[in-house]
Amino acid sequence: MEHLVKQTIAKLSLPEVSFADVRLTRTDWESIYFMNGFLRGFGSNMDATAIGIRVLVNGCWGFAGSRDLSPASVERLIKQAISNARQGSGFLRNKVEFPALPASEAEYIHKPEIDPFAMPKEEKTEFLGKLAEAIKPQGKIVHSTVMAQFMRQEKYYANSEGTYSHTVFYNTLPLMEVMAADGGQVQSRTWPGHMSAGRGGFELFHQQKFVENTQRIIKEATDLLDAPVIEEEKADIIIGNGHLALQLHESVGHATEADRIFGMEISYAGKTFIKPPMIGSFQYGSPIVNIFSDSTDPAGLGFHPVDDEGVPGKKLDIIKDGILVNQQTSRHIAHLLGLEPSANMKASFADDFPLVRMTNFCLAPGKGSLDELIAETEHGYLLDFTKTWSIDDNRNNFQFTTEIGYRIENGKITGIVKEPTYFGITKDFWNACDRVCGPEEWGYHSTFHCGKGEPGQVMQLSHGVAPARFKNINVSVKI
Amino acid sequence: MNNLDYLKSILDSYPELQYELVEKFWSTDFLRFYQSQTNYNISKDNIVVSASIYKGKKSFAFQLDNPDTKQIDAAVKDTLDVIDKLPEDPDFVDLENDLTFAEPRAVTNNIEALSLDKKVRILSKIADSASTHGFEIFGTFICNHQKYRIVNSNGMDKSSESSPIYLEVKAVRNSNQVTVLETFGGENAGLLDEDAFLQSLLRRIAHGSGEIIDVEPGYYDVVLAPRCVAEFVQYLSWGMSARALDQSSSYFEGKLDEKVFPENISIIDDPSDPEMIRADYGSSGHIYRRLPLIEKGVFRNFMCDNYYSHKTGLPKNGNSASCLRIEPGTRNLDEMIGSVKRGLYISSLHYMNFINPRETSLTGLTRDGTFLIEDGKITKVVNNLRFTERIERILNNVIGLENRCQTIPFSENYDSFDIATVKAPHALVRDFNISSSTKTI
Repeated sequence: MEHLVKQTIAKLSLPEVSFADVRLTRTDWESIYFMNGFLRGFGSNMDATAIGIRVLVNGCWGFAGSRDLSPASVERLIKQAISNARQGSGFLRNKVEFPALPASEAEYIHKPEIDPFAMPKEEKTEFLGKLAEAIKPQGKIVHSTVMAQFMRQEKYYANSEGTYSHTVFYNTLPLMEVMAADGGQVQSRTWPGHMSAGRGGFELFHQQKFVENTQRIIKEATDLLDAPVIEEEKADIIIGNGHLALQLHESVGHATEADRIFGMEISYAGKTFIKPPMIGSFQYGSPIVNIFSDSTDPAGLGFHPVDDEGVPGKKLDIIKDGILVNQQTSRHIAHLLGLEPSANMKASFADDFPLVRMTNFCLAPGKGSLDELIAETEHGYLLDFTKTWSIDDNRNNFQFTTEIGYRIENGKITGIVKEPTYFGITKDFWNACDRVCGPEEWGYHSTFHCGKGEPGQVMQLSHGVAPARFKNINVSVKI
Repeated sequence: MNNLDYLKSILDSYPELQYELVEKFWSTDFLRFYQSQTNYNISKDNIVVSASIYKGKKSFAFQLDNPDTKQIDAAVKDTLDVIDKLPEDPDFVDLENDLTFAEPRAVTNNIEALSLDKKVRILSKIADSASTHGFEIFGTFICNHQKYRIVNSNGMDKSSESSPIYLEVKAVRNSNQVTVLETFGGENAGLLDEDAFLQSLLRRIAHGSGEIIDVEPGYYDVVLAPRCVAEFVQYLSWGMSARALDQSSSYFEGKLDEKVFPENISIIDDPSDPEMIRADYGSSGHIYRRLPLIEKGVFRNFMCDNYYSHKTGLPKNGNSASCLRIEPGTRNLDEMIGSVKRGLYISSLHYMNFINPRETSLTGLTRDGTFLIEDGKITKVVNNLRFTERIERILNNVIGLENRCQTIPFSENYDSFDIATVKAPHALVRDFNISSSTKTI
């Protein structure tokens, strides 16, 4: 594979090609799905290879990708990528340009504690089957699922500047859910929430305490059927990690993808309210809000030694002491903004075009435990586990519903509320943040399903968060 | 012998096995543009072979990308090694046994019919016209070509071919980012009338050149563009599936043959409309036929595949809401807008998500052109707005439907890139709940 990638990049050493890169991925995938206690699906896609060739010709990007790695296919893709760039340059005003980077070489081979692909299949279904049995329909539980997705991806990257990297990663997405119904009403609870993925293998089921939480989600889903809704117009809310990761993702992560500033994502993912002059001065959040992008931490799904256009992994502040100080960029966009490239260009598979993507996008920890934060809250709600999410085209107005809310009175949790829904404007919301819990509460919460780009790509990425409190938030939406 | 036939020949030597095999060839030519220039051009293709193999009530599935016989042999061996050790699915009864073939139809490969040069020429013309009004164009111009074959151990062997086109142009005003949208979708490149497309876009640009205002949350009479009507009905259609019914998340549970909406609401899943992207077969190979879902307000059918038919007892069909049509009404669009004293015209929706699918409650936003209607005329541009609503309530509040439909393309960007169309008219809806403003355009 290394030979194929290096041989292909060598063939792209042509006078009209000002930059080129070649990626090759080999991906193993397995998914297991139990429904209502029974195995509903067990499938795999092993050794799926893909190659993608990207060239810059006449200042225009051309790309061709395929799952066919035969010599004839690679020759065809080279010609197609160059042809696409040439023809596209007939509809071009400003040529794509960016400064060269020094060549670098990197290799990173990750090994999980429990390799899911080495485990006997029946051992996996036995463990998951026991979970499925524990949460199968009972009482008011009418539907339940247990699922696992395992991925191993090996990637080779080479570009025309001489950069080369080879990586292997294992990522796992574990999730269980119960649904309770009573009359016309349905309530659900997941564990450990929809940002449940992580770097690693089958050990995630143990680390995330699936067995220990089966009865909790059954009870909470059932209790939610009779729970009240929030009555107040505004309230102080503490957001737990099971939801805060998505709040960060939607209202800061996507908003600071700088391809949106230039409208490159208008046709699908949307724009951003951020304009270039805001970088360095815009008060995005309160002074305790510090947010960074970190592709150097191997514990998160966003780790890479170099990104998919040859930029070495970086940790950089995006929001420092509440001020917007940087953006997630490509080399082209960084050049347009006068910034250093941030190592955020990634593609899901080699036959996908790389896009500006979150890597490990994190809210820096503050101080204290969640228990201490609850104890310091006179009246409010702890909201956790995302149920519904929505944010506007400019990443400015969001509305979220969580699966459950815990009412806090005089520093103690005194009950639950169903379908707690809050909305806000991004800047106002992050400026209302008055506490972020400390390192003891901080952890990665990751997804396999961040959609962006056309043709669509779903990216695996992580968010490091600790529970945080937001003051006087609008919780008045009634459904 | 091709991959699918090779795999079939192996599996046929194990009479105790049942199987469903799918081979899909897919290719795309994809031009993405921004600021009236190319962003990138993509050519991409793949061949995927998928197999679901059953032994009694036990099953295992695999997918292979562009496989050779060695990979197929290994996948079959892996399946045979494990299948006896897996737990059963007691709800599995049998594979699809509908052997009806769809009417053959000629399919043009639109990747060839609409070459990149031709796309660039069309877009350059649109960009030039938009720029004279102070707008730049952004969007995508896509042609796909796909061939699909499904065989199973019940004797099914069916093939299908399609080549959808998707053109989406967003014109963005340089001075203030006001955005308007025009789209074309279908399989017949001959239906892409470049002049009509441009004229329609320019009409929207004219509306987008007005003053920008904000409006307070509240209940508004709204004229929903066909794209909005189509999207609400797409979301509603989840509850019309037997799967949703089985998962206790269907609004239509217990409502078969009951009146759920006003008489002016009729919704059909119809794969035969030549202006739309058609479907020949459902995911398990059942023929895809016209299926009335709502007839004059009465809920008529669940969409139900073979598996859920056995599980729920509902009659099976091949439908999956891929070819939805909302029947037109009797009113003229200008007359509908003219009847609104103070309300909104909503062009497009964004980032909708169910709050509670059983109740059809959801939230989402407007985008690509939200306009104030005053005294029966579109007068101003309005910031994008958030709504929190129930689809059943929206449809129950429809007081008028336009007397013609438009074909609206949608791209599916999760899992696999796919293009589908929905046909819908404008709708006049009273008391639509705007729950907040985004304060941005």
